[in-house]
Amino acid sequence: MSKPTDDCHVVEGKLALPYQYFAGRTGSRFLISLRDKKKIMGVRCEKCDKVFVPPRQTCERCFSDISDNWVELGNKGTVTGYTIIRYEEPHQPIKPPYIMAQITLDGADTPITHIVKGMPLSKMKTGTRVKAIFAKKTTSSIRDIEYFRPSDDKPAFELGYTYDELEVGMSASFTKTVSESDVYLFAGISGDFNPMHLNEEFAKLTPFGTRIAHGALPQSLIAPVLGMKLPGLGTVIPEITVRFRKPTYFGDTITATGEVVEKIEKRRWVRMELRWTNQKDELVAEGSCLAIPPVPLGK
Amino acid sequence: MGYKNKKRHVGIIGIGETKFSSHREDVNQPEMIHEAVRRALDDAGLQIDDIDCVVHGNMELFEMVHQADMWHTIGTGAYGKSAFRLTTGGTTGGTLVCGADNLVASGMYDVVMAIGFEKLQEGHTTGGITNMADPLWARKLQSGALTAQAAVKLIAEFGEERARRAAMTYRIIMDKHACKNPNAHRAFHLEWDQIDDLMKHSPPLIGDLRLIHMCSQSDGACAIIFASEKKAREISDTPVWIRDHITIHREETLNLHNNFYPIQTTHRFAAEKLYERNGIENPLEYFDVFEMYDPSAWWGVDWLRDFFLLEGDQHIQMVENHDIMIDGKMPINPSGGVIATNPIGATAMVRVAEAAKQIRGDAGEHQIPGKVEHGLASSFGGTMWTVLTMLEKETNW
Repeated sequence: MSKPTDDCHVVEGKLALPYQYFAGRTGSRFLISLRDKKKIMGVRCEKCDKVFVPPRQTCERCFSDISDNWVELGNKGTVTGYTIIRYEEPHQPIKPPYIMAQITLDGADTPITHIVKGMPLSKMKTGTRVKAIFAKKTTSSIRDIEYFRPSDDKPAFELGYTYDELEVGMSASFTKTVSESDVYLFAGISGDFNPMHLNEEFAKLTPFGTRIAHGALPQSLIAPVLGMKLPGLGTVIPEITVRFRKPTYFGDTITATGEVVEKIEKRRWVRMELRWTNQKDELVAEGSCLAIPPVPLGK
Repeated sequence: MGYKNKKRHVGIIGIGETKFSSHREDVNQPEMIHEAVRRALDDAGLQIDDIDCVVHGNMELFEMVHQADMWHTIGTGAYGKSAFRLTTGGTTGGTLVCGADNLVASGMYDVVMAIGFEKLQEGHTTGGITNMADPLWARKLQSGALTAQAAVKLIAEFGEERARRAAMTYRIIMDKHACKNPNAHRAFHLEWDQIDDLMKHSPPLIGDLRLIHMCSQSDGACAIIFASEKKAREISDTPVWIRDHITIHREETLNLHNNFYPIQTTHRFAAEKLYERNGIENPLEYFDVFEMYDPSAWWGVDWLRDFFLLEGDQHIQMVENHDIMIDGKMPINPSGGVIATNPIGATAMVRVAEAAKQIRGDAGEHQIPGKVEHGLASSFGGTMWTVLTMLEKETNW
């Protein structure tokens, strides 16, 4: 059966439309600075109190000539809008999927559009901090910024809770299974080669009937809690007291827990209650400590 | 035709042209436009805030840009204003004037700025023009933007020697005018004694069309500010009034859709209608200046007959007798015309701008020496677009 489109001829064609674009003096200065100094420059309109990036000769608001009011901007900015490109076209700058974002550089009032790479697409959101990655090889174009990638603005070390942040009732814990090799390593660290920890035959003669871990081994498991979790990095422990309640056998899983029980306002220290339990929820040890919470580094 | 009289008079109160040249490396598109905009505002003594509406145009595809009016706002000053984009090929500049005139005449806006521009250096003109043809019948046969059709016609009617000499005389007159216009792109300082040499030795392009006959490819922009009569009289001491304009167009690339020749050219048809409805019985006598969109010397000669409704060899005689020179009986293109300067999207608007400057009397070195009260400007575009614009010094018509 014939279709309505049978014998409908199509004329195929292709037109080449080459072009160039003169950047102008202002645009050229931006590109040259990007190419030679890896610096992103903008222009400022004093009258409108706006910094434009990309730069322009004229402020379109007040029509002032602003082409000489150059300001240098950093290479960091904030994503103010974005989309994820998933379909593929020959004219695209890189292979999809990739993120196209509007990025307002720190100190600028207008966003520039660019590619964001180096993060999961699903994690992209407005407000993401990004920094420019400059291309290794120049093309004297806006692609001399090859792309933007997430910028980690956090300090190198994140301090624990300060005295003011700590509240009575806050707690944290750390859990670990104590193995035979932990005990042997601990014997080496402490010099305590007592056969009750290392010699099963000798241990059979003791009240425990088998090898047990050194008491200080489970006790030491409170250190990652106090020093790295609560209060956390920067904490000093001036006093710690422990009473041992039950032995720790090889293979036991010990949970060390610390809880803030008192804020000592006068010294800006806290008192914490400490508990060690095993996998059967039996109390292995208990005690308390004084903790000096962190103050900002360098002060 | 749906032509109706205007609701109110519209005056040209500001004119801005860039210097036209083959290269403008120092400015990008919005920056180049801005030069013309700034000059038009300065000429009118206005600030950008005084403009109610901006009309923007250039050729489609010539720089491989699309919707350039959007990002040209930086240079046009259209931020926060009403804005339109018009593009009708070579006639774009003329259509921009029509559009601005209609916008003001209708009462919609009191002050409208029209801007035409082109940066031909950045694009590929023939590539853009080739897109104009019917893709089924004509596109694959197109020779580009050039044609020698007027040469064929003139030679057939007046013989090789007379036709060729008239075309080259026209060419040299236009160059002599261009030498007086500081904004003109090409001014070669050609001399009369070069005619025979150029007729023989200028590189041939197509048929009898030689390189020297043909218009330039230029970069530049033109801006004109239009105002309602009340505003125009407040703002300007020398407003130039737009009396009327007419647009006639027809597809003629390879004569596909007008198979019932012979018929009038769109130029002649437009001229007849325009003069008829304005009561102009002898255009040659009436007009003091004619800025013609003359893309080549051959067309320039041939079209004189159409635009002035002449018969026989009257148009050839006008050229031979140098009547068309700046100090002649009917000065044509004292600016040097399109052969000297062709930033296409601005070109037709420059015709109106230059005719208006002649009427104001402040064209400078290329000011016509005698009185100039009535001006005519033409626009041409492919495949056959004609826009004619009538300008007046007074509103007494």
